[in-house]
This record gives sequence, C-alpha cells and structure tokens, in this order.
Amino acid sequence: MKLFRRLRALFGKEQLYQQLSDEMTFHLEKQTEQNIAMGMRPEEARYAALRKFGGVEQVKEECRDAWGVNFIQSTIQDVSYGVRMLRKNLGVTVVAVISLALGIGANTAMFSVTNVMLLRALPVRNPQQLVEFIRRDPDGSMMTNLPYAVFEHLRKNTSVLSGVFAFTSDTRILRSGAGSEPLTIHEVSGSFFPTLGVNPLLGRAIDSADDRPDAEHQVVGLTYSFWSSQFGRDPSVVGATVRLNGAPSTVIGVMPPDFFGVDRSRTPGMWAPLASDPNPDEVWVLGRLKPGVSIPRARAQLEPQFHQALESLSDSTKNWPAGERDRFLGEKLVVQSATTGTSGMRWEYWEYSNTLRILMGMTGLVLLISCVNVANLLMARSAARSREIGIRLAIGAGRLRIVRQLLTENLIMALLGGVIGLLVAAWGHRVLVAFLVGNLQGVPLSFRLDERVLGFSLALSILTGLVSGVLPALRAGSRDLVAAIRDNLQLRGPTRLPFARKLLALQVALSLTLLIGAGLFVRSLRNLGSTDLGLARENLVLMKVDPSPSKSLRDPRRFWNQVVERIGALPGVRSVSIGGDAVFGNGGWNNGISVRQPDGTERQSQVAFNVVGPGFFYTVGIPLVAGREFGVMDQANAPRVAVVNQAFVRKFLGDDNPVGKRFGNAGAGSSSQIEIVGVIGDARYGDLREQPSPMFYLPVLQNLDNRLYEVHVRTAGNSAAVIAAMRREIQAMDPDISVYDVRTIKEVINGLLQHDRMFAVLASVFGILALLLTSIGIYGVMAYEITRRTGEVGIRMALGARRGDVLWMFMRETLLVLAAGAALGLPAALASAHVLRTLLFGLDPSDPVTLVWAMATLAIAGALAALLPARRATKVEPMVALRYE
Amino acid sequence: MGKSIDLLQGTLDLLILKTLALEPMHGWGISQRIQQISQDSLQVQQGSLYPALHRLELQGWIDSEWGASDNNRKAKYYRLTDSGRKQLEVETAKWERLSSAVAQILATA
Repeated sequence: MKLFRRLRALFGKEQLYQQLSDEMTFHLEKQTEQNIAMGMRPEEARYAALRKFGGVEQVKEECRDAWGVNFIQSTIQDVSYGVRMLRKNLGVTVVAVISLALGIGANTAMFSVTNVMLLRALPVRNPQQLVEFIRRDPDGSMMTNLPYAVFEHLRKNTSVLSGVFAFTSDTRILRSGAGSEPLTIHEVSGSFFPTLGVNPLLGRAIDSADDRPDAEHQVVGLTYSFWSSQFGRDPSVVGATVRLNGAPSTVIGVMPPDFFGVDRSRTPGMWAPLASDPNPDEVWVLGRLKPGVSIPRARAQLEPQFHQALESLSDSTKNWPAGERDRFLGEKLVVQSATTGTSGMRWEYWEYSNTLRILMGMTGLVLLISCVNVANLLMARSAARSREIGIRLAIGAGRLRIVRQLLTENLIMALLGGVIGLLVAAWGHRVLVAFLVGNLQGVPLSFRLDERVLGFSLALSILTGLVSGVLPALRAGSRDLVAAIRDNLQLRGPTRLPFARKLLALQVALSLTLLIGAGLFVRSLRNLGSTDLGLARENLVLMKVDPSPSKSLRDPRRFWNQVVERIGALPGVRSVSIGGDAVFGNGGWNNGISVRQPDGTERQSQVAFNVVGPGFFYTVGIPLVAGREFGVMDQANAPRVAVVNQAFVRKFLGDDNPVGKRFGNAGAGSSSQIEIVGVIGDARYGDLREQPSPMFYLPVLQNLDNRLYEVHVRTAGNSAAVIAAMRREIQAMDPDISVYDVRTIKEVINGLLQHDRMFAVLASVFGILALLLTSIGIYGVMAYEITRRTGEVGIRMALGARRGDVLWMFMRETLLVLAAGAALGLPAALASAHVLRTLLFGLDPSDPVTLVWAMATLAIAGALAALLPARRATKVEPMVALRYE
Repeated sequence: MGKSIDLLQGTLDLLILKTLALEPMHGWGISQRIQQISQDSLQVQQGSLYPALHRLELQGWIDSEWGASDNNRKAKYYRLTDSGRKQLEVETAKWERLSSAVAQILATA
C-alpha cells in the first residue's frame, strides 16, 4: 500500500507540490491572524509567523523527502543528464562501450556454452520431474546401464512414478544412394515419447503398439538434424522406406528441432523400437516422478523392486566368479534428477580438465583489463570535468549525489556494453562450440538466448559498471572544492594523473600475462604440428570398410585380397594395405606377451599390437630398420611371425640383433611361438604427444578374425578423385558393404590438434585484444597529459630544448610505466603460465623466447601509442605553446 | 511556563495521532491543540510538524482531504484511520512502558 501511495505521489507530482504550497500558505495566514489578534501590526505579524514557522522551502523539501519521491526523481534526472554527457563526449563513450562490450561479451559466451552443455533443461513437458536410474557398486562406482529386467520391474510401479522408459544406443548400417554408412540409432521403449510428452513435428512418434517383437512393420522416427541433412527437409519422407542392416523400415515421423532425446552427449539419427533389438541386455532407464514425489521417497519405494529384478537374474549369473556375482547382487539403486538429460559420455573437455578453468581465467582477465581501461578513461574525462563538478559541489550537491550521478552514467555505458556484448557472445559461443566439439556430430549445442544467459549478462554488466566506475566517481567527488574554483589552471584539470599511470601499469601487467599465454600456445601448436611422427604424412588416405552385412564375409581372405588388388589397380594409387586399427586410431589393442630373457627367465608384459597386411609399413611410410616386411608368404599355415618397433627392441631384447628372436603369448605355455622377422622405426601411434611405446605387429593373414579393417592408401597426389574411385570399386563388389570414415592423415592430425588450436587462437585473440585496450589506454592518458602540459613544452623549447629532447622526455615517462607494468606482471604471468604446463608441448612455461617476444610486442605497442601524441606536442611552435592557456 | 522541550520524532507522531483521535483537523489546528493542552510547555516546532504529518500519511495511519475552514478558506484536514487507531494504541503502550521504566530508574536513589 505504501508503495502505491508513493507511486501516486510520483505521478501526481505537480499536484502534490501545489498542495504543499497551499497548506503552508494556510498555516502562515492563520498564524498571522493570531499574531494580529495579539496586537502586532500586520507586517510584523507576518514576519513573526514566518520566523515561528521556520524555513518554508526547507519544510517543503522535507515533506517531499517524506514521500520518498526524491530518490526516484533524482535517479531519472541522473539518467537524462548522464545520457547528455555521454553524447557530448562521444569519443570516450564509444571506446568505453566497445571495451566493455568485448569484456562482457567474452564472459557471456563462456557462460552460454556452459549453460548449453550442462544446465539447460530438456525441451519436454515438466522436465524437472524426470529422473534417471543408476546402479552403484558396493565399491562406489556408478553405472548408468541397467539390466533389462530392472526396467521391467520398475515399469510396474505406479505409486511414485507416472511413467518409465528405457533406451539403448546401437549402430546400424543405413543403405543410401551413395553407399552404406553406419548410423547411430537410439532404440526406445514404447513409453519413451508418451512419458516425455513431446509431440512430433511430422507424422507420429513411436508408441507401445510399435514396441512389440511381433510387430508387423518395423518403424523408425527421424531426428530433425538427420532429416535436414539426409533428406533435405522433404516432408514426403513420412511413409518412406529405409534399409537398416539390410532390413526395410518405415519412417513414421520427424521430431521437432529442439528435441534430441535425453542423451546430452549425442543426438542419434533415428529412433527405433526397443523390441527391434534382438537382445537388449543393458539399457538406460529413466522415469517421471508423480507430482509432489521427492527423489528420496521414490528411491526408498523403488529399491525393493530393483533388488527383486537383480534376484530374478540370479539364475543367469550362477556361473559368474563369486566376487563378481556378489558385487552384482549387492548393487544399490541411485535415483538422480535428469532435468537436463543424461550423459552417457563424460565431457572430458568441459567437466574434468583444466580447460574450463583456463578459459574462464582468460576471459576474466580480458574483462578485468577492459574494466581498468574504462576506469582510466573515465578518470581522464572526469579530470576534465572538474570545473563542472566543482560548481555543483559549491551550490550544495552532496558528495554522494555527485558519486551517484557519475555511477549512473557508468551504468548506462555498461548496460549498453552488455547489450552489444550479447552480439559478441552469440558469435563467441558459436566459435567456442565449433572448437570444442568440432569432431562430434549432432551434439545439440546451438546458441540460445534464454533467461539465464540474459540474467548473467545483465548482472555482469551492472557489476562491471559499478567496478569500473566507483573509483573514478569517488575520486571525482572528492576534489578540493576551493582549489577547483580558485586555481585557473586547475579549472581544466590537473596536468598529471599519477593514479591513472598506476592503473596503466596494471593493464600492462595483465596484458603481459595474456600475451605470454598466447605466445606459449602458438609455439606449442607449431611444435606439435611439425613434430616428427615417424611416418610419411603426405597423401595418405584411410577408410573403414565393413563387409559384415554382405555375403562377402564368408571368405574373408579372398575378400580382402580382392579389395587390395582392386584398389591397387586404380590409377593414382601408389600402394595400399590394410590394418586392424588405423594409424592414430583408437590406440590399438593390448596383449600379454612373454619374452625369454638372457638369464633364462620369462618376462611378462602387456604390449600394444596391431594386425596389418603385406606392405603396410611401406604404404604408411614407417622405415624398415632391419629384416623384412610382411608378405604373401605369411599365410595362415606358415610359421607365426611378427614385426616389432625399436622401442620394443630396446625394452625387451637389448642390443643383440633382434631378427630371428622369438617371443610368445603370455599364458600360452611357450615363449617362443612367434619369430621376429623385421624391425621398424618408432612412430607415434595414438597421440601426437606421447613417446612411442613398444609395439608388435602380426600379419593379418595369420589373424583374420576381425570383421572390419582400415584400408590405408598412399595416393600419388590429390586424393579427392581417387577417393571417389575407391569407393565405387568397393561398392561395386557388393552394395551392402559399408565404406565410411574416409579421411587423410593430415585431416586426422588436424583433428587431434583441435584442442590446442583452440587455445592458440583464443589466447591470441585475447592477447591482441588486451594489447589494443592497453594501447588505447596509454594513448588516452598520454594525450591528456601532453595537452595539459603544452605550456611546459613551450617554456622548455623557448629555453633551448630541442624537439628530440622533449620527445624523449615524454617517451621516457611511458617507458617507465611499461617497465613498472612488466615488473609487476612478469612474476604473475610466470605463475599462471605454470598452470598451462600440461597443455604445452616441446617447451617450458618459462620459455625465454616467448617472454622476450611478449615483452617486446608490448613495449613497441605502448611506445607507438605514446609516440603519436608526443610527436604532436613537439610540433607546436614555442610561442604558440607559451600563449596557450 | 518552562522552556519548551525538544520533541523526538517518534513522540511527535504519537502526539499527532492522539490529537487526531479526538477529531479531524488541519495542521495549524493540531499545533495549536498540542500547545493548548500541554499548557504551552510543549511548543511544537512548526516546521517539523508537516513532514511528520506527511510521513504518517504515507504510512497510512492518517488520511487527508481538502475542506473549507471556519472562514471558508481551503485547508487540508487530517483524520485518523483504523490502522492509525491501532498504531496509536501500540505507541501509547510503548510510551507508558518507557516512561515507567525511566521513572523506576530515577526512583532508585
């Protein structure tokens, strides 16, 4: 009610003031009358009444204060005055707003990416009711995949759950016009879509009628992104037939663009009924709580059913080793909120590594620099406004009022900066996401301006406005009143700004940190890119070939021989071979081996290995150091052979000639089954950064038990045309063979460098930004000071100083600021560079070349920024300068 | 007539409410009445009366309307509201507690 009356007073302001006047007038008249009645003369009576009353205007002011209208009114005044002043100093305003926009925008981008990755709720009905069921081992490890029996048992509960659904991820081969490709499918229970409460964009969603093993037709639903990329958003896809794993399915609908399922880490291409999976052993299970049911209560209720489910499986686990079986039956149910979905994959980049912290550190630094920059600009500007402020102080404005007004101006700038910052954030968000998850397909991470991001941006803008403005505002309001009006020179502001210089030094220090970081990342990236990998990078193509759906797998040896022959015969192919695991693939397999030592003992170890075809090392470009490569003589019934790398030799065989030595599979009884016939050079295998570890290779013809192999092809020049030809060749053999994941080694390496490249680029961008802001700061302060000191320059030159001397005087002061900043910043920069240690390759965090480069860049930029106004000062004629007031 | 006592803000509010409890009146009338009843020992600083009145009006304890005074001049009349009446009881009780406490302390020699 009080507020209501206040607002009414605010809007009826004029009337209120008039009424106050009338009230006072009435009172004074009555008092005057009383005085006259007591015998005074009329004028005397009036004066006596006024005296008795007190200051009329003051009383009116107090009454107005009582209504609290003043505060709102003065704020409105501040805002309109502030806008006027900002427009008058347009140059400073624009620079400040841009500084703020960049700082706020960068931080908002970071927040927005975090929001989208971790915080945003699923676009379904009442997502806060969704929960995920997880099982926990007695030793604490948690697993999200539950036995199917658990789903069946939980499904029966109707007291705390209004719905339960399950899904599992599968890969099926989709036959399309160009060939066959694997596709990620999520197989969902019939209750999936109805429980989530999401409506399809086209057609209908999978329901329980479809989720039966004996369903007449197999059906699938499409995700929006798949529909866009594969079918060009053609609405006639509903009802069309697609071939998955050789069997036909009907497309029944398309889901809306927002909806990606419940797995945050991956969007499938399609949805299929769970019943279409022949044996769904393990599924993700989620459910919807009934309104008002809490998670602990649900857990308590559902735990018994969970155990019943495990008990029902005890028959099938009878043959398990005792320890495992006890662990399985002793598992507990954990119920977790699934408002934002579940994540089958851990976000290493985001949740577990330093990345987030480092990125936040960098953007925080940028924001800090821009705050300091703005503060500096404001101080220089308010120094120029000291006359105006002095007058306002003189006519009675309280110091607090002045500070409030300056802060309001600053907040306006900051809010403007925040609005523009949203544009920066949208762009920055896209760049960040592209860098972080460039390799992953279909992860739903587009920029969305929801209330959280807006709220963050607003809060940050206000905070920034206050932080960057409070210091200049306080200093402005505390100017010595008398001196401000009396001293003529002071009217235009002081000649030097010592505090501004301190802030500049701070900026220099912060920029140095960012520049050193940038330098380190860039050099590390260069090191990584040019490091010797041990194989030949040029024109090497890899592709996965999976013949499993076709009939070709009946005679794998003939099939693969044919593949190698046909591809080898293509023009433009220099050599071809196959391998079980690609170079820079998943890191290969491990196997236990046992090697006889010179002293007769057996040495056992786990060693990585790969299975490769004849001519593999020649194709890939790994040099043969001793012995021979695999050839066609290494057949299934020939003696077992292997090729090892130098690291293997160093670790297990010492200095003797390794060719002819033997080793065996651990636990197979003999340690001399396999003869070493060749030694190859060490090559990086899984990671660009690691040291090559011991490896051995087995001939594929003696170990042909994979269904899928990677074909490695060395082409003679541009690969694009040859790739198309290779595809055609293989598909011609049988259209059901899937050929996919075609890439060149260069692309693979590029992909591996993604993370490092992101850091290098971002750090460089931030570094340049910091440099720019600091240079602008130096320019601003120096320009201000030099203009004020024109008189001094004139005197010096009249007394005989040369242009060069004056120039050097100003430059010296700038260099002092730079040196102070460097002294302050270097230790801090080194300390924070230490954090980056694990990310750098081939250089130290305290790499001297980088340090020198960073400092030199900063020095040159700062010197240039100061040179411009300094040169202008020296160009003035001494007589003109002397007369300048 | 002793020296006039300076009044604290809270006390002034109490006096205003009490005065208006008897009958509605304008600001001039309130200051006269207080002077009258206290036999001139309380001279309300006239300037501080009006801010107090406006404050009380903002709180909702008194209400105002414009009417005609005895010689047909426009005057702003204040009256006590229901919540104001309640507030008066509360404030009176507080005052009595305070004054008896002070009296007790003074009584202990």
